Amino acid sequence: MLAACGGARAPDDAVRLVLRHSRMVGDPDPLPPLLRQFERLHPGVRVASEPLPWTADVQHQFYVINLEGRSPGFDVLMLDVIWVPEFARAGWLLDLSERWRAADRATHAPATVEAATLGGRVWAVPWVMNVGLLYYRSDLLAAHGLAPPRTYEELAAQARRVTGAGPGRGLDGFLWQGRQYEGLVVNILESFWAAGTDLLGPGGRVLPDMARARDALAFRRELLAAGVSPAMVLGADEEQTRRAFGRGGAVFLRNWPYARELFEAAGSAVRGRVGIAPLPGGGALGGAHLAVSRASRHPDLAWRLVEFLAAPPAQQAIAAATGLHPTRPALVDPALREIFAGARPRPVTPWYQTLSATLQPELSAAVAGVKSPARALADAERRLEYFLPGPR
Amino acid sequence: MRWLGHALVLAALAVWVAPVGWHVVTSLTPEAELLDLGATWPSRLTLEHYRAVVAASPLPRALLNSAAVAVGTTALATGLGTLGAYALARLPLPGRRAIMLGIVLSTAFPAIATVAPLYLMVRGLGLRDTWWALILADTSFALPLMLWLVAGFMRSLPRELEEAAFVDGAGRLGALRHVVLPAVAPGVAAAALVTFLSAWNEFLFAYTFTATEASRTAPVALALFPGVFEVPWGDIAAAALLTGAPPVLVVLFLQRHLVRGLLAGALKE
Amino acid sequence: MKRGERALAVALVAPALVVLAAVTLFPVLRVLLLSLERRVPVFGIEEFVGLRHYRFLAGDPVFWHAAGVTVTFTVLSVALEVALGVAAALALHRLGRWRAVALGLVLLPWCLPGVVTARIWEWLYQPHVGLLSRVAGGVNWLGDPATALPALVVADVWRTSPFVALLALARLGTIPPALYEAAAVDGAGRSAVFRRVTLPLLAPVLLVAALFRTLDALRAFDLIFVLTGGGPAGATETLTIHAYRSLFGTLQLGFGSAVAVIVFALVTAAAWGYLRAVEGREAAS
Repeated sequence: MLAACGGARAPDDAVRLVLRHSRMVGDPDPLPPLLRQFERLHPGVRVASEPLPWTADVQHQFYVINLEGRSPGFDVLMLDVIWVPEFARAGWLLDLSERWRAADRATHAPATVEAATLGGRVWAVPWVMNVGLLYYRSDLLAAHGLAPPRTYEELAAQARRVTGAGPGRGLDGFLWQGRQYEGLVVNILESFWAAGTDLLGPGGRVLPDMARARDALAFRRELLAAGVSPAMVLGADEEQTRRAFGRGGAVFLRNWPYARELFEAAGSAVRGRVGIAPLPGGGALGGAHLAVSRASRHPDLAWRLVEFLAAPPAQQAIAAATGLHPTRPALVDPALREIFAGARPRPVTPWYQTLSATLQPELSAAVAGVKSPARALADAERRLEYFLPGPR
Repeated sequence: MRWLGHALVLAALAVWVAPVGWHVVTSLTPEAELLDLGATWPSRLTLEHYRAVVAASPLPRALLNSAAVAVGTTALATGLGTLGAYALARLPLPGRRAIMLGIVLSTAFPAIATVAPLYLMVRGLGLRDTWWALILADTSFALPLMLWLVAGFMRSLPRELEEAAFVDGAGRLGALRHVVLPAVAPGVAAAALVTFLSAWNEFLFAYTFTATEASRTAPVALALFPGVFEVPWGDIAAAALLTGAPPVLVVLFLQRHLVRGLLAGALKE
Repeated sequence: MKRGERALAVALVAPALVVLAAVTLFPVLRVLLLSLERRVPVFGIEEFVGLRHYRFLAGDPVFWHAAGVTVTFTVLSVALEVALGVAAALALHRLGRWRAVALGLVLLPWCLPGVVTARIWEWLYQPHVGLLSRVAGGVNWLGDPATALPALVVADVWRTSPFVALLALARLGTIPPALYEAAAVDGAGRSAVFRRVTLPLLAPVLLVAALFRTLDALRAFDLIFVLTGGGPAGATETLTIHAYRSLFGTLQLGFGSAVAVIVFALVTAAAWGYLRAVEGREAAS
C-alpha cells in the first residue's frame, strides 16, 4: 500500500537513469545541479549523465550504432532537432503524444513542436533552441543612414554601398557559411524561404518551384562572384565567420545567437557596434530536443526526467549559464523574441540525412561556380527523386 | 659532375624529410606563435602540445586500441597463415591452384567493396565498437597476404632440408616444426611486420566500425581530433607524430629484414 | 602416405580458408547482392530492385564526374610516382656507405598512416599560416576547386613514391657494373646509357610497381577523406569516396554497394590489364 502512494521508494531499490547529452559549455555547468534536484524530488532514483562525442556527425554515428543494438544503455537522449523524425521512424523513440499534456505543449515555440512531430504523433520535447539571424554593424549602417535590410537584395545593395569600391579595403560585405557541410544547406534553405519556396513541397515533392530555387541559389553564387562575399566564405563555418566579423572585418554576418555574447564581451573589437535583425524569410531552427529511448526499462521515470529538464525553471537555469536559449517564447530575451518567433524548421522528414548529404556537394559546386545553379539543382533533384520513397 | 649527384641526394632528402620535419617543429611551437605570420621559426620550444595530447585527449586510449588490434590481427594472420602456407607450398592439397589464385586475387579486393557487408555482419554479431570487429576486418587483407608471401618463402626452400628430417624419422608436422619454420622465420617475421603496419595504418574499417573511445584506433582519433572552437594545430601535430611514430620506429629498426623480405616477394616471378 | 598427407593439408589450411571465406569471399558475394537491393538499414527497408541502381548510375552526371576524378587522380599519381621514384633511386644509387641511412629517411613517409600524411599536408597547405602559403602565398590550395586535385596528387605522390624508389633501387643494385662499362667503351653518353641500359632493365620492376600503385590509387581512401573529404565542390570526390558517402552519408546501402561494386570491377580490370602486359613482356623477351 505504501508503494501505491507513489513517489516513495526504499533506498536499495535505487533506479538508475542514464541521460546522454552534448557537453554544455557553461560556467558553471548547469546540468549537475538540475540532476541532483531531480534526484531529491524522486528518492531512490540516480541519474547518470554521459556526454556525447563533440561533433554532430560523430554523435549521429554514435546514436545509430548504439540504438540499432537494441539495448543502448541510456534512457533519455538529447537529439539535434533534425534527427527526431529519423529516429522516430526507425522506432527508437517512445511516443510521447499521450504523456505530454497539450497545455504544456502550447507553451513551446510552434516551430520546435513541429520539428518533433511525425505522422501526427510527437516524439521529443524541445529543450534548447537556436535560430539563424542577421548580425550587422550598427555604426556603419547608421553612418550611411541605412536601416537593417528586409530582403537579401537589399542586403547586397547595402553591403556594396558601405564597402565602397569593393573588397580589399579590409572590409567585407556579407559573411555566411559556404563550406560543404550541413551549415551550407541551412544558409541556402534560408535563401529559398526568402524567395518563397522550399526544399520539399506539399506531398513531399522535391524542389517544387525549381525556378525560384535556382534564382535564389544563383543569387548566393553572385554574392561570391561579385565580391560582396569574400572567397573565404567557401571554406568557412560558423566559427571562422564569427571571428572574421568579430575582428571588425565585415558589415553583415549570418550566424546563430551564441555569437552575440562574444561580440559584446569585454575586449571585443566590435563591442557596442553590433545590431541583430531577423533574416529575410525567417531563420533556420536549430537546437536540441529530449527524447526517451523505446528500450528504456523505466519509461515513466525517464519521461518525468524529460518533463523536469524541459520545464521553465530548468530551461532558464540552462540559458543563464550557457548561451542555449529556452524553447518557450515567454522565457526568451525580449530583444530576441521577434527573431525567434520567425524560426522555421528544416524539412521535417525521416530522410533529412539523405537530403542533406545529397544536397551538400551540389550546393557547394553551385556556390563555388563549378556548376551552374540550374545543373546543380537538376542533379540534386534527380538523385533525391531516386532515393526518397513515395510518401515522405 | 659529382656535386650534381650530391645535390640530387640532398634534394631527395629535402622533399621527403622536410614536411615531416616541419611538422615536428610545429608540434614544439608554442600555441600563441602558431598563427603568427611574422615569425617562421618558434622563439622557443615547448612540450605543451604533447602534454595536452597525452594527458587530456583520447589519443592514449586510441594508441592502446591500435596496438591491440594490430597485434591481434598479426597473431591471427601469422598463426593461420603459416599453417595454411605449408599446406599450399608442400602438401598435396586438392584444388591448390584454384585456392592459390583465389588468395592472390583477394589481396586486390578494395576495402570499400567489403565494408558494407562487413558492417552488416559486425552489427548482426553485436561486435560494433569492439576490437574483434576490427581484427576480423583487418584479417580480410592480412591473411591472404600472409598466405601468399609465406607460401612463396616455403616453396623456395630446398627440398633437401625436409628430406633430411624425414630420414631422421620426423613426419610432415615434425618437419614443419623443426626445419621449415625456423628456416622461413626471417621471411615470416618480415611478413608479420607488414601485417602489423597495415593493421596499424588501417582507416576505413576502423572509422566505420567504431563509435566511442572504447575501440577507436589512433588514425581515427587523429582524424576526429577534438577542437571546440579553434583548430588546435599544435596539438594535432603532436598527435599526428605520436600516431605515426610506432610504424616509423618499427620500420627504422627492422628495415633491413623488412626490405629483404619484401624484395624476395616482389622480384620473384 | 599421400592420403594421409592430403588430410593433413586440408586440416592445416581449413582454419585459414574458413576465416577467409567469412571475411573476404562472403562479403564480396554479399556486396553484389546488396547492389541489387534498395536497402536502408536504419528504417529496415529491404527490397529487391535488380539492376535499377546500375541503370541510374549510367545516366548520372555525379557518378561520371566521380569516375573522371578517379581516372585523373590515378593516372597523374602513378605517372608522377614512378618518375619521382626512379629519380630518387638514381640519386640514392650513387651513395655508398650512406645509402641505407638515406633510404631509411626517404622511406619515412611511406610507413606513415594516411591520416598522418593528411594532417601534415593540411597544415602545409593552410592559407596564410601554412608553410607553402608563406613561401608561395595567396592560393587556397585545398579550398579552391581548381587547385584541390593537384594538391591532393602532390600529397599522394609524396607518400607513395618511396615505395617505387625502394623497388627501383633494389633492381639497380643487381645490374652488373660490367654492362655500364661496356656501354662506356662503346662511347655512349649518360642519357644514352640510361635509355639503353638502365631503363630496359628497370622496366619489369617499374611495371610491377605501377600495378600496385594503380590498384592502390583506385581504392585510395584515408588520405582523400581526411585531407579534403571529397570537396571542395566534389573536385576530389573519387568513386571510392563517393561510394562511402552513399553508403554511410545518405544511408543508402544498396545504392552505395552498386558504386562499390563498380570500384571493385575497375580494380579487377586494372589488375587483369597489368598482368596481361607483364605476360606479354615475358612472352616477347
